[in-house]
Amino acid sequence: MSVDQAVFDGVLLEAAKEVFETMIFMDIENASEPEQTIDELTLLGSITFTGTLEGCLSIFCGLPAAKAIATNMLGIDATDDISEEDICDAIGEVANMVMGSIKSRVQHGIEKLAVSIPSVVTGRQLESNLCDGENKITVTVNIEDEYTAQFSLLYRESEK
Amino acid sequence: MAKSLMIVDDSATMRKIIMRTVRMSGLEFSRTEEAGNGNEALEKLNAEPVEIMLCDINMPEMSGSELVKKVRELPSCDDTKIVMVSTESSQEIIDDLLANGANGYITKPFTPEKFQEKLAPFMN
Ligand SMILES: [Mg+2]
Repeated sequence: MSVDQAVFDGVLLEAAKEVFETMIFMDIENASEPEQTIDELTLLGSITFTGTLEGCLSIFCGLPAAKAIATNMLGIDATDDISEEDICDAIGEVANMVMGSIKSRVQHGIEKLAVSIPSVVTGRQLESNLCDGENKITVTVNIEDEYTAQFSLLYRESEK
Repeated sequence: MAKSLMIVDDSATMRKIIMRTVRMSGLEFSRTEEAGNGNEALEKLNAEPVEIMLCDINMPEMSGSELVKKVRELPSCDDTKIVMVSTESSQEIIDDLLANGANGYITKPFTPEKFQEKLAPFMN
């Protein structure tokens, strides 16, 4: 079975948009000119999948962006204190939902796809390509014209 | 009479979002409980059953599918309606869950309207 990379082009952005609009109440736009470079303290939320395809989806953004996402998701004031644990939990769930949305959009051909529990790491100069994959799709988005985040999908066809 | 509700999800953020979305849907519950994993859910259900349980699938230690099977073994939860709330959208998995005792399914991301539509039948 061959999974055309073209199938995923567009799907990643659509999936991210759906999650941001319905669950986070923030608008995101494909960023030809990113508002920010993501080089400060960053968060990397990823979820791996196995099955017909194997690989990983990640969201990569700076701490201020992650905090804005988490406070919006929780419906709390941006100036309120929010723990790093809550921020990580929120970003992990964003990765989970974007992956779910991708899956529902490309059901045909990748019916059997088991996803992992999301994991989130923080640090400086993290690389967003933590896992191997022959194919990589990256989408950089601006969030509410203020923050920048990057989604990447790495995958390869299983050998089985 | 208003029903009791339990939200089971390993993500604290997601439990809060589900709670908020339930409120936005206009549905009212007499009592709401939360559990962060399957064991905590079983413990709380053993102490006091609920009428409606919203249950995640992708959870560490005990998956939502396992939890559904275990809840169905509890005689006190015979009448509990279990609605899965998950990013999982494969029909095969959904059919399997429904065959094993789940009563409904809501996919993430979701809207208050979706909760209203899927939970209203269990509110009487
Ligand atoms: Mg989960």
